[in-house]
Amino acid sequence: MLDIRLYMLQRLSALFMAPFVVVHLAVMTYAIQGGLSTAEILGRTQGSTFWILFYGGFVVAVSIHAAIGLRVLAHEITGVTGMWLAAFTWVLCLAFLFMGMRAVIAVTVL
Amino acid sequence: MTVNGTPRWTCRTHVKKVLNGNKLTVGPLRNLPVIKDLATDMDPFFEKWVAAEGVHHPSSTRADPIEKIDPQSSARVEIDSAIECINCSICYAACDTVTDSPSYLGPAALQRAWTLLKDAKDANRQTILDAVSGSGGCHNCHSQGSCAVHCPNELNPMKAIADLKRATSLSFLKGGR
Repeated sequence: MLDIRLYMLQRLSALFMAPFVVVHLAVMTYAIQGGLSTAEILGRTQGSTFWILFYGGFVVAVSIHAAIGLRVLAHEITGVTGMWLAAFTWVLCLAFLFMGMRAVIAVTVL
Repeated sequence: MTVNGTPRWTCRTHVKKVLNGNKLTVGPLRNLPVIKDLATDMDPFFEKWVAAEGVHHPSSTRADPIEKIDPQSSARVEIDSAIECINCSICYAACDTVTDSPSYLGPAALQRAWTLLKDAKDANRQTILDAVSGSGGCHNCHSQGSCAVHCPNELNPMKAIADLKRATSLSFLKGGR
Protein backbone atom coordinates (compact mmCIF):
# COMPACT_ATOMS: atom_id res chain seq x y z
CA MET A 1 0.00 0.00 0.00
CA LEU A 2 2.97 2.27 -0.64
CA ASP A 3 2.98 4.05 -3.97
CA ILE A 4 5.94 6.08 -5.21
CA ARG A 5 4.67 9.35 -3.63
CA LEU A 6 4.33 7.89 -0.13
CA TYR A 7 7.62 6.00 -0.53
CA MET A 8 9.49 9.17 -1.51
CA LEU A 9 7.78 11.18 1.21
CA GLN A 10 8.92 8.65 3.80
CA ARG A 11 12.49 8.50 2.46
CA LEU A 12 12.84 12.27 2.11
CA SER A 13 11.43 12.85 5.61
CA ALA A 14 14.01 10.35 6.92
CA LEU A 15 16.73 12.25 5.07
CA PHE A 16 15.44 15.46 6.66
CA MET A 17 15.35 13.91 10.15
CA ALA A 18 18.92 12.56 10.16
CA PRO A 19 20.71 15.90 10.78
CA PHE A 20 18.00 16.90 13.29
CA VAL A 21 18.67 13.76 15.33
CA VAL A 22 22.45 14.37 15.27
CA VAL A 23 22.08 18.03 16.39
CA HIS A 24 19.46 17.08 19.00
CA LEU A 25 21.73 14.40 20.54
CA ALA A 26 24.75 16.72 20.44
CA VAL A 27 22.85 19.53 22.18
CA MET A 28 21.45 17.11 24.78
CA THR A 29 24.96 15.86 25.55
CA TYR A 30 26.28 19.42 25.74
CA ALA A 31 23.43 20.56 28.01
CA ILE A 32 23.92 17.65 30.43
CA GLN A 33 27.71 17.90 30.61
CA GLY A 34 27.60 21.65 31.10
CA GLY A 35 25.22 21.15 34.03
CA LEU A 36 22.46 23.39 32.66
CA SER A 37 19.32 23.59 34.79
CA THR A 38 15.80 23.41 33.33
CA ALA A 39 15.42 27.15 33.77
CA GLU A 40 18.71 27.80 31.96
CA ILE A 41 17.68 25.53 29.06
CA LEU A 42 14.25 27.20 28.78
CA GLY A 43 15.99 30.58 28.96
CA ARG A 44 17.87 29.68 25.80
CA THR A 45 14.96 28.08 23.90
CA GLN A 46 12.10 30.45 24.74
CA GLY A 47 11.61 33.10 22.09
CA SER A 48 14.31 31.57 19.90
CA THR A 49 13.27 31.51 16.23
CA PHE A 50 16.04 28.99 15.52
CA TRP A 51 14.77 26.42 18.02
CA ILE A 52 11.14 26.95 16.93
CA LEU A 53 12.13 26.21 13.32
CA PHE A 54 14.50 23.39 14.32
CA TYR A 55 12.09 21.39 16.48
CA GLY A 56 9.06 22.47 14.42
CA GLY A 57 10.74 21.03 11.30
CA PHE A 58 11.69 17.91 13.25
CA VAL A 59 8.09 17.37 14.35
CA VAL A 60 6.75 17.80 10.80
CA ALA A 61 9.27 15.26 9.44
CA VAL A 62 8.56 12.75 12.23
CA SER A 63 4.78 13.08 11.80
CA ILE A 64 4.99 12.31 8.08
CA HIS A 65 7.57 9.53 8.46
CA ALA A 66 5.89 7.71 11.35
CA ALA A 67 2.37 7.94 9.91
CA ILE A 68 3.47 6.32 6.64
CA GLY A 69 5.40 3.60 8.47
CA LEU A 70 2.43 2.77 10.69
CA ARG A 71 0.17 2.82 7.62
CA VAL A 72 2.19 -0.08 6.17
CA LEU A 73 2.00 -2.01 9.45
CA ALA A 74 -1.76 -1.40 9.78
CA HIS A 75 -2.36 -2.65 6.23
CA GLU A 76 -0.16 -5.73 6.52
CA ILE A 77 -1.42 -6.75 9.98
CA THR A 78 -5.14 -5.97 9.69
CA GLY A 79 -5.67 -5.91 5.91
CA VAL A 80 -7.33 -2.48 6.04
CA THR A 81 -7.31 -0.66 2.68
CA GLY A 82 -8.84 2.31 0.83
CA MET A 83 -10.49 5.19 2.65
CA TRP A 84 -10.05 3.62 6.09
CA LEU A 85 -6.32 3.25 5.54
CA ALA A 86 -6.07 6.83 4.26
CA ALA A 87 -8.07 8.09 7.25
CA PHE A 88 -5.85 6.10 9.64
CA THR A 89 -2.72 7.66 8.08
CA TRP A 90 -4.09 11.22 8.24
CA VAL A 91 -5.36 10.88 11.81
CA LEU A 92 -1.97 9.58 12.98
CA CYS A 93 -0.08 12.28 11.10
CA LEU A 94 -2.28 15.05 12.57
CA ALA A 95 -2.11 13.53 16.08
CA PHE A 96 1.71 13.43 15.94
CA LEU A 97 1.75 16.99 14.61
CA PHE A 98 -0.55 18.18 17.40
CA MET A 99 1.40 16.45 20.19
CA GLY A 100 4.80 17.45 18.80
CA MET A 101 3.88 21.06 18.13
CA ARG A 102 2.38 21.31 21.62
CA ALA A 103 5.76 20.31 23.03
CA VAL A 104 7.65 22.67 20.73
CA ILE A 105 5.42 25.60 21.72
CA ALA A 106 5.83 24.72 25.40
CA VAL A 107 9.61 25.04 25.30
CA THR A 108 9.98 27.84 22.76
CA VAL A 109 6.97 30.16 23.06
CA LEU A 110 5.15 29.80 26.39
CA MET B 1 4.63 -27.23 -4.10
CA THR B 2 5.32 -26.73 -0.44
CA VAL B 3 7.50 -29.47 1.03
CA ASN B 4 7.96 -29.62 4.79
CA GLY B 5 6.82 -26.00 4.98
CA THR B 6 9.20 -24.71 2.30
CA PRO B 7 8.29 -23.82 -1.30
CA ARG B 8 10.20 -26.14 -3.63
CA TRP B 9 10.69 -26.92 -7.32
CA THR B 10 9.48 -30.42 -6.51
CA CYS B 11 10.12 -32.13 -9.84
CA ARG B 12 13.80 -31.19 -9.63
CA THR B 13 14.45 -31.59 -5.91
CA HIS B 14 15.78 -34.86 -4.59
CA VAL B 15 13.76 -36.23 -1.72
CA LYS B 16 16.93 -36.79 0.35
CA LYS B 17 17.54 -33.04 0.39
CA VAL B 18 14.20 -32.18 1.98
CA LEU B 19 13.45 -35.06 4.36
CA ASN B 20 12.70 -33.93 7.89
CA GLY B 21 13.70 -36.93 9.98
CA ASN B 22 12.02 -39.59 7.91
CA LYS B 23 8.92 -37.52 7.16
CA LEU B 24 7.76 -35.60 4.15
CA THR B 25 4.76 -33.26 4.19
CA VAL B 26 3.62 -31.84 0.86
CA GLY B 27 1.12 -29.06 0.29
CA PRO B 28 0.03 -26.54 -2.36
CA LEU B 29 2.01 -23.35 -3.00
CA ARG B 30 1.28 -20.52 -0.59
CA ASN B 31 -0.30 -17.19 -1.67
CA LEU B 32 -2.33 -18.74 -4.52
CA PRO B 33 -5.94 -19.99 -4.54
CA VAL B 34 -6.08 -23.75 -4.13
CA ILE B 35 -8.11 -25.56 -6.81
CA LYS B 36 -7.83 -28.97 -5.18
CA ASP B 37 -5.27 -30.84 -3.10
CA LEU B 38 -1.88 -29.72 -4.45
CA ALA B 39 -3.16 -27.82 -7.50
CA THR B 40 -3.21 -24.03 -7.31
CA ASP B 41 -4.72 -21.46 -9.64
CA MET B 42 -1.76 -19.60 -11.19
CA ASP B 43 -3.93 -16.88 -12.78
CA PRO B 44 -3.31 -14.20 -10.10
CA PHE B 45 0.43 -14.80 -10.48
CA PHE B 46 0.42 -14.21 -14.23
CA GLU B 47 -2.13 -11.40 -14.05
CA LYS B 48 0.40 -9.55 -11.95
CA TRP B 49 3.06 -10.03 -14.64
CA VAL B 50 0.77 -8.17 -17.03
CA ALA B 51 -0.09 -5.55 -14.37
CA ALA B 52 3.65 -4.92 -13.86
CA GLU B 53 3.98 -4.35 -17.64
CA GLY B 54 6.03 -7.53 -17.86
CA VAL B 55 5.24 -7.60 -21.56
CA HIS B 56 7.44 -6.58 -24.48
CA HIS B 57 6.93 -3.07 -25.83
CA PRO B 58 8.48 -3.24 -29.31
CA SER B 59 10.77 -0.47 -30.49
CA SER B 60 10.49 -1.46 -34.17
CA THR B 61 8.21 -3.36 -36.52
CA ARG B 62 8.69 -6.83 -37.99
CA ALA B 63 9.70 -5.14 -41.24
CA ASP B 64 12.73 -3.55 -39.56
CA PRO B 65 16.03 -5.41 -39.25
CA ILE B 66 16.61 -7.17 -35.94
CA GLU B 67 18.45 -4.93 -33.52
CA LYS B 68 21.82 -6.35 -32.49
CA ILE B 69 22.44 -6.61 -28.79
CA ASP B 70 26.00 -6.96 -27.59
CA PRO B 71 25.92 -9.89 -25.14
CA GLN B 72 28.85 -8.31 -23.28
CA SER B 73 27.18 -4.91 -22.79
CA SER B 74 26.75 -4.02 -19.11
CA ALA B 75 22.94 -3.66 -19.33
CA ARG B 76 22.66 -7.11 -20.95
CA VAL B 77 25.06 -8.76 -18.51
CA GLU B 78 23.11 -7.26 -15.60
CA ILE B 79 19.91 -9.07 -16.59
CA ASP B 80 21.65 -12.27 -17.75
CA SER B 81 20.53 -14.34 -14.78
CA ALA B 82 17.13 -12.68 -14.27
CA ILE B 83 15.86 -13.69 -17.73
CA GLU B 84 16.33 -17.32 -16.68
CA CYS B 85 13.17 -17.13 -14.53
CA ILE B 86 11.07 -20.25 -15.14
CA ASN B 87 7.79 -18.77 -13.77
CA CYS B 88 7.55 -21.45 -11.11
CA SER B 89 6.00 -19.03 -8.59
CA ILE B 90 8.18 -20.29 -5.74
CA CYS B 91 9.42 -16.76 -4.96
CA TYR B 92 5.78 -15.59 -4.96
CA ALA B 93 4.82 -18.36 -2.52
CA ALA B 94 7.83 -17.58 -0.32
CA CYS B 95 7.10 -13.84 -0.11
CA ASP B 96 5.60 -12.70 3.22
CA THR B 97 4.71 -9.32 1.73
CA VAL B 98 2.44 -11.04 -0.81
CA THR B 99 0.80 -12.90 2.09
CA ASP B 100 0.20 -9.72 4.08
CA SER B 101 -0.59 -7.45 1.14
CA PRO B 102 -2.39 -9.43 -1.58
CA SER B 103 -2.31 -6.56 -4.09
CA TYR B 104 1.52 -6.54 -4.05
CA LEU B 105 2.81 -7.52 -7.50
CA GLY B 106 5.38 -9.92 -6.06
CA PRO B 107 9.02 -10.73 -6.84
CA ALA B 108 8.60 -12.60 -10.13
CA ALA B 109 6.47 -9.97 -11.87
CA LEU B 110 8.72 -7.16 -10.65
CA GLN B 111 11.87 -8.99 -11.73
CA ARG B 112 10.30 -9.55 -15.15
CA ALA B 113 9.46 -5.83 -15.40
CA TRP B 114 13.05 -5.03 -14.41
CA THR B 115 14.51 -7.18 -17.21
CA LEU B 116 12.37 -5.26 -19.70
CA LEU B 117 13.38 -1.94 -18.19
CA LYS B 118 16.99 -2.91 -18.88
CA ASP B 119 16.21 -4.30 -22.36
CA ALA B 120 17.57 -2.09 -25.14
CA LYS B 121 14.75 -3.37 -27.39
CA ASP B 122 11.97 -2.21 -25.06
CA ALA B 123 10.42 1.09 -26.16
CA ASN B 124 8.28 1.99 -23.18
CA ARG B 125 10.46 2.48 -20.15
CA GLN B 126 8.20 5.03 -18.47
CA THR B 127 5.16 2.72 -18.75
CA ILE B 128 7.08 0.06 -16.83
CA LEU B 129 8.19 2.57 -14.18
CA ASP B 130 4.60 3.79 -13.77
CA ALA B 131 3.27 0.23 -13.53
CA VAL B 132 5.66 -0.71 -10.72
CA SER B 133 5.07 2.56 -8.85
CA GLY B 134 1.42 2.01 -7.92
CA SER B 135 0.02 1.04 -4.52
CA GLY B 136 0.92 -2.65 -5.08
CA GLY B 137 4.29 -1.85 -6.64
CA CYS B 138 7.96 -2.40 -5.87
CA HIS B 139 8.01 0.08 -2.97
CA ASN B 140 6.13 -2.40 -0.79
CA CYS B 141 9.08 -4.84 -0.76
CA HIS B 142 10.68 -5.07 2.70
CA SER B 143 13.87 -6.65 1.31
CA GLN B 144 13.41 -9.73 3.50
CA GLY B 145 14.95 -11.81 0.71
CA SER B 146 12.80 -14.95 0.88
CA CYS B 147 12.52 -14.78 -2.92
CA ALA B 148 16.29 -14.97 -3.35
CA VAL B 149 16.66 -17.68 -0.69
CA HIS B 150 14.04 -20.00 -2.20
CA CYS B 151 14.51 -19.41 -5.95
CA PRO B 152 15.44 -22.84 -7.38
CA ASN B 153 17.50 -21.15 -10.12
CA GLU B 154 19.38 -19.03 -7.57
CA LEU B 155 18.11 -15.78 -9.07
CA ASN B 156 17.87 -12.63 -6.96
CA PRO B 157 14.52 -10.85 -7.48
CA MET B 158 15.26 -8.71 -4.40
CA LYS B 159 18.17 -7.11 -6.26
CA ALA B 160 15.92 -6.43 -9.27
CA ILE B 161 13.32 -4.83 -6.99
CA ALA B 162 15.99 -2.68 -5.31
CA ASP B 163 17.04 -1.44 -8.74
CA LEU B 164 13.41 -0.72 -9.64
CA LYS B 165 13.17 1.37 -6.46
CA ARG B 166 16.27 3.30 -7.54
CA ALA B 167 14.98 3.82 -11.10
CA THR B 168 11.50 4.93 -9.97
CA SER B 169 12.97 7.27 -7.35
CA LEU B 170 15.23 8.92 -9.94
CA SER B 171 12.31 9.20 -12.35
CA PHE B 172 10.18 10.76 -9.59
CA LEU B 173 12.87 13.30 -8.70
CA LYS B 174 13.39 14.21 -12.36
CA GLY B 175 9.82 14.28 -13.56
CA GLY B 176 7.62 14.22 -10.51
CA ARG B 177 6.03 10.81 -11.12
